[in-house]
Amino acid sequence: MSNRTGVLPGVVETAAAVSARRQSAVGVVEDALARIGEGDGRVRAFLEVTGDLALEEARGVDARVAAGERLPLAGVPLALKDNIWVAGRRATCASKVLAGFRPPGDSTVAARLRKAGAVFIGRANMDEFAMGSSTENSSSHVTRNPWDLGRVPGGSSGGSAAAVAARFVPGGFGSDTGGSIRQPAACCGVVGFKPTYGRVSRYGLIAFASSLDQIGPLTRSVGDAARLYRAVAGFDPLDSTTAQREVGDPEGAVGRGVAGLRVGLLAEAESAGLEPEVAENLETARRIFRDAGADVVSVSVPRATAAIAIYYVVASAEASSNLARFDGVRYGPRSTDADLTSLYVESRTAGFGPEVKRRILLGTFALASGYYEAYYGRAMRVRQLLCADFDRAFAAADVIVCPSIPGPAFRVGEKTDDPLTMYLSDVFTVPASLAGLPAISVPSGLTRGGLPLGIQVLAPRFGEEAVFAAARALEEGVGFPDALSPVSE
Amino acid sequence: MTSDRPLVTPAVVRRVAELARLRLPEEDLERWSGQLSRIVAYIDQLASIPEEAFGSAATGPATPVRADEPRDGEGERALEANAPRQLHGYGVVPRVVGSGS
Repeated sequence: MSNRTGVLPGVVETAAAVSARRQSAVGVVEDALARIGEGDGRVRAFLEVTGDLALEEARGVDARVAAGERLPLAGVPLALKDNIWVAGRRATCASKVLAGFRPPGDSTVAARLRKAGAVFIGRANMDEFAMGSSTENSSSHVTRNPWDLGRVPGGSSGGSAAAVAARFVPGGFGSDTGGSIRQPAACCGVVGFKPTYGRVSRYGLIAFASSLDQIGPLTRSVGDAARLYRAVAGFDPLDSTTAQREVGDPEGAVGRGVAGLRVGLLAEAESAGLEPEVAENLETARRIFRDAGADVVSVSVPRATAAIAIYYVVASAEASSNLARFDGVRYGPRSTDADLTSLYVESRTAGFGPEVKRRILLGTFALASGYYEAYYGRAMRVRQLLCADFDRAFAAADVIVCPSIPGPAFRVGEKTDDPLTMYLSDVFTVPASLAGLPAISVPSGLTRGGLPLGIQVLAPRFGEEAVFAAARALEEGVGFPDALSPVSE
Repeated sequence: MTSDRPLVTPAVVRRVAELARLRLPEEDLERWSGQLSRIVAYIDQLASIPEEAFGSAATGPATPVRADEPRDGEGERALEANAPRQLHGYGVVPRVVGSGS
């Protein structure tokens, strides 16, 4: 049993300790459950803690280790977002429309994590159907930021981010459609990584926007993120959008350094009127990369400024289509049996929360006859311009660097009445999503008020190794404290 | 935007909600109209991009194909675990054809 007043070991360290039998997987899980028991009453990162199942899985891991199996994630307890299927658990997307839903088995991600020796500690809270930037849209409860309980953890993977930041678990998984891993990671002072579109199978991920959704890890270090990513990445016959490409050596890339790497600072971010402390962090990043031997240049992605507008058409249109399946027929509560149309309408009206309804309405509008060309068609064409902008920028730089968030985590309730302002929280994360690029958020320091900020590193599609190399150099230069966040002290 | 008329009028909201199989209370339509109009006004910046900015449409990667081999999709088990109403292994819905009386 580890000392709960000390620094919680990370993913790599935990797996090493369990593999060497210095610690049992059961002990690690008991420790995580005790941490959750002490702190989650305040943070509320979880929708459900599945302690008995986790302990049963941990016993299985201990047996496999004793039998000589080499497991890269031996005994590592993880918080998985509630839109990822895990056998034996419910998966509800924090929505009433999926209350009680039991998936038929593991998602590919869960199956691969299980094979690698990981243990699933609980279902992490999220914005309903991953629509939001604050986790305030959960139909269950609001998750709090461990650095300041009066603030949001970001979203939509806010439960996973908060669980890692509060030191309940060494790692978690979220899904990122427009920044839903990177934005909460930045708000909570942890690392969040969105892989290239097509790197990680979405089989068993409940769909939001299928041309954007991607699963990725949240951890306290870049090395830990690379370990978790390696365990889940790669072609999956159950998801035809996964790429038949070698995953390479992301963990080896972590220590590779950035000497000679061309690091492009995003000009549109620098000219966007950044908050002073965000601008300071970006300047620090410039110095860190230069001192580490990188060739720091400025690059331009002009259409990045249109990204939010493109995103809210494309993602909402895809969501209105994907969410048509939630109609009270095959799963979830049914509101009436009066007639078929009423069954659909009443089940959906009672089941979806206001933000999900807003996106469905917006997406249905953008796809409706008479509006389709002006909105959906137009957005798809501008998305292509954005992708071409990135192609040109990556001719001049190996990676692109910009802030993850325009400012620190906001107060609970601060933006709930103003959807457009909430949408603009994702201004720096959406461009990489639209272009399908790998992107990571690394903690870049604390504001004078003591709140975390984050810096992103983007690379061309399938350029994960460059992302990890640059992210590690940034992490090393920043020296973000791995001390306990305030809530766990 | 050249007029004060909302981009997404209450009548449009009502129609879109019907298409989306959602029921919005009549008294909420003005609020939805205001919110959606503000979002759509922001999105309308895309309309200001001049036509000459768009080159020929880029072609994306080819759709990957795989062998069409049957496998157990676990659908029956999922239905059994989740369907709000079922009978003889099927989901039950209200009568669709005929009056039933």
